[in-house]
Amino acid sequence: MTALFEGTTILEFGGGAAGPLATRYFADHGATVIRVESHQRPDFLRVLRLTPDQPGGLDASEHFAVLNANKLSVALNLARPQAVAVARRLALRVDAIAENFAPGAMARWGLDYASLVQDRPDLIMLSTCLNGQTGPHRAYPGFGGQGSALAGFNHLTGWPDREPVGPYGTITDSLSPRLAAVLLAAALLHRARTGRGQHIDLSQVECGVMCLSEMVATYTANGEVLSRQGNRSSHAVPHGVFRCRDSSDGRERWLALAAHDDSDWARLVEVMGHPTWTQAPGLATLRGRLAAVERIEAGIARWTRDQEAWPLAARLQAVGLDAAPVEDLGDLHEDSQLAHRGHFRPVDHPVLGRHPVETHAIRFSALTPSIERAAPCLGEHTDGVLRELLDMPPGEIAELRALGALD
Amino acid sequence: MQGVLDGIRVLDCSGEPGFLAGKLLGQLGADVVKIEPPGGDPVRRRGPFWGMRVDPERSLPWIALNDSKRGITLDLAKPAGQDIFLRLCRTADVVLETGMPDDLARLGLGWSELARHHPRLVLCSLTPYGQSGPHAAWRGSDLTVVARSGNLHCTGDPDRAPVRCSLPVSHFHGSLEACVGIVFALLDRERTGRGQHVDVAMHEAMVMPNIGTASMAAMNGHRGARAGAFIRQRHSVQREIWACRDGYVSFALRGGPARVPGLVALTRWMAEEGMASERLQAMDWATYNHNLLTQAEVDALSAEFAAFFATKTMTELFEAAVRRNLMLAPANTAREILASEQLAARRFFVDVEHPGRGILRLPGAFAVVSSACPDETTIRLRRPAPRLGEHTAEVLSEIGLDANELARLRAEGVV
Repeated sequence: MTALFEGTTILEFGGGAAGPLATRYFADHGATVIRVESHQRPDFLRVLRLTPDQPGGLDASEHFAVLNANKLSVALNLARPQAVAVARRLALRVDAIAENFAPGAMARWGLDYASLVQDRPDLIMLSTCLNGQTGPHRAYPGFGGQGSALAGFNHLTGWPDREPVGPYGTITDSLSPRLAAVLLAAALLHRARTGRGQHIDLSQVECGVMCLSEMVATYTANGEVLSRQGNRSSHAVPHGVFRCRDSSDGRERWLALAAHDDSDWARLVEVMGHPTWTQAPGLATLRGRLAAVERIEAGIARWTRDQEAWPLAARLQAVGLDAAPVEDLGDLHEDSQLAHRGHFRPVDHPVLGRHPVETHAIRFSALTPSIERAAPCLGEHTDGVLRELLDMPPGEIAELRALGALD
Repeated sequence: MQGVLDGIRVLDCSGEPGFLAGKLLGQLGADVVKIEPPGGDPVRRRGPFWGMRVDPERSLPWIALNDSKRGITLDLAKPAGQDIFLRLCRTADVVLETGMPDDLARLGLGWSELARHHPRLVLCSLTPYGQSGPHAAWRGSDLTVVARSGNLHCTGDPDRAPVRCSLPVSHFHGSLEACVGIVFALLDRERTGRGQHVDVAMHEAMVMPNIGTASMAAMNGHRGARAGAFIRQRHSVQREIWACRDGYVSFALRGGPARVPGLVALTRWMAEEGMASERLQAMDWATYNHNLLTQAEVDALSAEFAAFFATKTMTELFEAAVRRNLMLAPANTAREILASEQLAARRFFVDVEHPGRGILRLPGAFAVVSSACPDETTIRLRRPAPRLGEHTAEVLSEIGLDANELARLRAEGVV
C-alpha cells in the first residue's frame, strides 16, 4: 500500500514553528508539502540565530532544518505581482493550503480563502495565528512565548514564590500544530465524503485556553484562580522531583516520583527501608501526607541524594511505582524507549551534514511514518515545482527569475 | 450533517489522559460515548468541586473535559459487560482507551480480538510509553513522562528542581496526538476499508514541545538548561518574564528583525513618558542584533525596561501593546482570560446549562470554520459532560437491549 497522503499536495505559507510543525504530520505520511518562501522576507527560524559571518547563510539554520524535513521549498518574492500570480496558480492546483501569516497578509495578495474559493470551490485552507483571524487583537503580532502567557500557561508554571516561567518551548507553538493537523485531516476526510471544502481559523491562544478548560471552569464555577504550585499536587503526595547523585561528568541528575494513593506510599516506604520519619502517625493517608508534605519531600530528598537516578527509577518501577529520571535534551538520544519507537531519524543536509530529525508520537499498525529528505534550502525546488505542478516552460521560469519574482 | 465527523461513533473508555481527545472528537461532530466503570471515573471524586460541594456530578476536572459526549456505565471486568462492549463495537468506528498495554487483552478485548470481529474498527491506545519497547510496562503520569521528555529539565529556575505546569500538559499533547492518529486512521479506512491500531505515547509526544531543540542537541551539544524567567542567547542571558505592578508580562529582546518594531515602539512610549534614557533613545535599531549583545548591553537595556514595566499594570501594558505593537503579552490568569475582549469578540466562551447544577461558562469551539454548508463543518460544544450513567438506557436500547435486559444488568452491577 502506498503512503496515506501519496499524491496529496499541501502549499504552506508562513514560518516559525506553529505552522510548519502541523504539515509535518502529512509530509511524514507521503504528502508533498511545498513551502513558499523568499530571500527577501526569510522565515523567522532561518534568521533566529543568524549572524553576518554565518557560513551557509539562510540554509545553515539548525532550527529551521530540524522542523522542516520532508518538505520542498519554492522561492517567491510576493512583493512582485508576477510572483503573486504564480502563488495563486499553485494555490488553485494543490489539495490544501496552510498559512500562519498575520491575518490580512494573504488577503493583500489576493490569496485568502474568499478570493481563492471562487475559482476553487472545494478549497481547504487552514489559517493559524496568535489570536485568530477576527476580533480586536487579530492583527497583534506575537511569538509563541506570548501565546503561552496569554493562554495562562505561564501563570500555571513555576514556583508559587517566584516568577511564572512557562513550560519550556513556547507551548502554544506545539499544541496548536497538533490541533491544526487534526482539523486539516478532518477537512480532507469531509471532502473525501462530500466533495466540499472549508476554511479553518485556528487561534493559538484559544487552542491553549481550550486545553486549560479546568482552569476556566474552576474560575467560572467558584471564582478560584488556579496558580502554579511547583511540582506539588492536591491529590498525590509525594509528587515531586528529587536530586540524585551527579553524573560522572558532573551534571545534575534528578528523579521524578509520584505516589498516587496509599498503596503506592506503603510500597515506597518499603523500598526506602522504613526509615523512622516515615512512621509518623497519619502518613498512611493522603490527608496526613498533604499536611506533612514538606517533611516528606525533605525525607525523600535525603534518600535520593546519593543514589543514581536511572537504577533508582528502575527499582521503584519494579515494585509498580510511578518514577522516572529527568532526562536532558542530550539524554533523549540514548533513551531506549524513544529508540525503540524510532523517534529520531537521520537525514543528510547539504549544509549541516547528517543530523537527526523527529517524527510524531503515533505508531500505526498499517501506516509507517517515513522521512525521505532533509529540510529544503531556500528555493531549492522552485524550478522543479513550477515545471511539474504548473507545466511552466523553462523560458517563463527564466523570465520570472530575471524580474526578481523567484527570489 | 452535524460537524465533519458526523456519523462517526467513538467508544471513549479513556481515563483522564484521554478526556480531551474525546471532547475534541465530540465537538467535531462524532457521537462520543463515554464508558465509565459503574462507580464512575476516579476524576469525579476529585476536586475542585463546583460550589465546593463534594459530589461526583460537580467535579470541575470532569465537567471541563468531558463535554460533547454521552455517558454510560459498563463494567468491563464482568463477562456480561465485555459482551455488551463487543456489541457496541459493532456500531462503532473508533475505540479510545488509556489502559496499560495489556489491560484490554486481559479482558479479551485486545486489538487482535477487536480486529477479528470488527475489521473496520480503529483502536487508539494512549499510554505513557507506548504499546511495546523496553519501558512499555513502566507506570507513568504527567510528571514522570514530562521528566523523560527533556521538557521538564529545561523548565524552571536554575537553582531549584525542574518544574512542571500545574495542569497536565502531557495529557493535552497526548490527546491531540491521539486525535491526529484517529483521523489519519479514518482517512486510511476510506481507501482500504480496514481499521487499525493507533499507538500514541505521551512520553514521545512530549519531545516535540521542545520545538526542535531535542534534535539540535545532537548537532550542537546543547543539552538544555533551566533559565527561569530568562533565556540563554549566544553571548548573554536575557530576561523574558518581567514583573509589572500587578503581575507579570512576557517580553523579549530576541526574535530577529521581526522583533525590532516592538522594541522601537516601546522605547518611543517610554520616551513620551520621560522614562527613556538618552542612551536608549539613541539606540541604532537598524543594526540591532540580539545575538551580538554583550551581557552589559543586555543588562542596561533590561534595567530601563524593568523600571518602566514596574509602573504599569498587566492590563495597561497589554492595551498599549495592542495599540502600539509592542510584542508584549501579560502572564494571564483565568481572571484576565475570562475578561478578554478578543475572546469575547470571537464568542469563544459559551454558557452551558448543567441540569440541576446551573450554568457554567466554558471554552466553546476550538476553531472557527467557514464553508458553503456551515452545519456540516461547524465546531461547537454539543452538550454538557454526562452525569454518571446518564445515557446508559438510551445507548443500550440503540443496540437492541430491552428494558428487562437492562434491569437484569443493573441488578448484576454490570451497568
